[in-house]
Amino acid sequence: MNELKNNDEFLNEEITPEEEQALKQLQEKREEKRHMGLKAKSTISNTIIYIILGIISVIWLIPFVFIVLQSFRVENTWMVGYVLPKQWGFDNYIRLFKETSFPRWFLNTFIMGLIVSVVQTVMVLSMSYTLSRLRFKGRKFLMNFMLVLGMFPGFLTMIVLYRILSDMHLIGANAIWGCILVYVASSGMGYYISKGFFDTIPRSLDEAARIDGASRLQIFYKIIMPLAKPIVIYTILTAFMAPWGDFVFARYISNFTSSGMNVAAGLYAWLEKDMINQMYTTFCAGGVIVSIPITILFLCLQKYYVEGVTGGAVKG
Amino acid sequence: MATLQLINVKKVYDNKVTAVDNFNLDVKDKEFIVFVGPSGCGKSTTLRMIAGLEDISGGKILIDGEVVNDLQPKDRGIAMVFQNYALYPHMTVFENMAFSLRLKRPKLKEEEIYEKVTAAAEVLGITDYLTRKPRALSGGQRQRVAIGRAMVRDSKVFLMDEPLSNLDAKLRNQMRAEIILLRQKINSTFIYVTHDQTEAMTLGDRIVIMKDGFIQQVGTPQEVFDKPRNLFVASFIGAPQMNFFKAELVREGNDYYVKTCSKTIKVDGEKGKELLNNDVKSQKITLGVRPEHMVLSNDPSKAIDLVVTVNEMMGSEIHIHGTTIDNPAVIVRIPTITLSGTNYTSQFTPGKNIQVSFESKIMHFFDENGVNILYPGE
Repeated sequence: MNELKNNDEFLNEEITPEEEQALKQLQEKREEKRHMGLKAKSTISNTIIYIILGIISVIWLIPFVFIVLQSFRVENTWMVGYVLPKQWGFDNYIRLFKETSFPRWFLNTFIMGLIVSVVQTVMVLSMSYTLSRLRFKGRKFLMNFMLVLGMFPGFLTMIVLYRILSDMHLIGANAIWGCILVYVASSGMGYYISKGFFDTIPRSLDEAARIDGASRLQIFYKIIMPLAKPIVIYTILTAFMAPWGDFVFARYISNFTSSGMNVAAGLYAWLEKDMINQMYTTFCAGGVIVSIPITILFLCLQKYYVEGVTGGAVKG
Repeated sequence: MATLQLINVKKVYDNKVTAVDNFNLDVKDKEFIVFVGPSGCGKSTTLRMIAGLEDISGGKILIDGEVVNDLQPKDRGIAMVFQNYALYPHMTVFENMAFSLRLKRPKLKEEEIYEKVTAAAEVLGITDYLTRKPRALSGGQRQRVAIGRAMVRDSKVFLMDEPLSNLDAKLRNQMRAEIILLRQKINSTFIYVTHDQTEAMTLGDRIVIMKDGFIQQVGTPQEVFDKPRNLFVASFIGAPQMNFFKAELVREGNDYYVKTCSKTIKVDGEKGKELLNNDVKSQKITLGVRPEHMVLSNDPSKAIDLVVTVNEMMGSEIHIHGTTIDNPAVIVRIPTITLSGTNYTSQFTPGKNIQVSFESKIMHFFDENGVNILYPGE
């Protein structure tokens, strides 16, 4: 006690107002320095991050820019050693739609995309909801089985599928229906991501709705679907995009019949040795056109893509 | 008008775990029943079986005399409030409350729905929030909406599954009082699940105490407090929990004595008569005495010695933890108003010896199986 008192007195005596001010200034300076240090640090790390991001995005964008530029090149149709066209114009696009089978391929792919996205979304969502909410015998086994099955590369089954589809007359000119059938048939296996999402929606919501008098179906589309918007959008997008990029299978069952091809299979023909010199820039124009529907769809739906909607459902 | 009967109800899960067994209960019309017990005792499972959210493995559940075992939840005439509220996050408060009404067949008129929802909102004081989404509400408001959603259904039985356990202590007290008020207003049969004995004691007309899937005791709050059927009930109800002493009950002629902590205490008054009326034999027992029934005393005929280990100052009272020969962890609650001086804790420093005693009328006797000798129940 005594010591403390002495100490207090000592402090009281020694510190004059001038000194106090000096001390304060010193402290302020220190604070400032610390702040500056932090600021400088974050500026430097941000700069580095942005430089890296910039480089990456340039690398990613080069092929796209390249293809867009090539598609507007008019002076010749083969591959050239420069990037910027000497003469600009829409000739390639006009040719693409007037002189080639591209409109047919585009339509084929679009139809495939539409049908697959609708059917596949319904199947995937009902599958994942079932696996997430209902408990039945063999559920675990089914899930594991499908997971293992999904690990085999798709082209292993291609020859068999070809035989089957050929017996069903769904190859060649009818190949798009064959493709749709195959895509849709295996779509239930893509349940994994959406099941994970459904698992995060509290089961008590289902139970509350059951007590409120909703049937399973009503719970699914009145309660779960509105909450699962992001995953519904995700499923639609991926399902719609698949036919645009499928090449191996689509080409195989189209059996070199032009009217049964999707864009990827169709466009590829122009890159073969005897065609590339006449069709190269047209191919680029086709590539640009293909990207348009997907981009539009993505732009329309992206806001749902990131929106989290479960907030406030339960204890927050 | 709604009675509820559970007859030999049993629940066995797929993994062969028995969650509830031999559950018998008769709930009268407009009665408020509280299921209470430690977690995993089967209280929520029983509630969910009444609601129809769980299958019943055995036995019968009757609502208003009608067996409802195989009825869908919506057809049982029940409403339920969930622990986590389970509000539909994409709907406004109004739509949340109107959801069940909109599903009704034949369809209700829009005005009718509006009327019912606003009436319920009025009672609960949430009229101002009807257009908000649940995420814009506080915990207490969400809870009210959840109750409101149950109210509009005009159900016969109102089920509540730990509705207050997500709220902070202050709000919980407030909501508890509101539930009591609500009950007077809606006048329905209530089944309320909680693990909180304060909620159980204050809300329930009768309390059902459960452990390991079995009912331990059913009774009014006063009954379960004064006449616990077994050691579990005695320890579960009351805080801090009842003290248990290893002891021996000795009968000498028509007099009874309790031997514990190297003292022989005469059981006098009503308690002694009761023992005599029940013709209780001499035997080894567990003696139960609640902390608040022990007093400081130096009466050599009945005071037992206690070595203080810890003291807890609670303001209005002081909790003294100590050890005796026949019980290593005794708690005594002493109201500070009965103590002299002002520095209360210094009178009970750890290591100090004190003497405490208790009256015969608050003694509880449990036999070797843990069953209350005087009130073994049915």
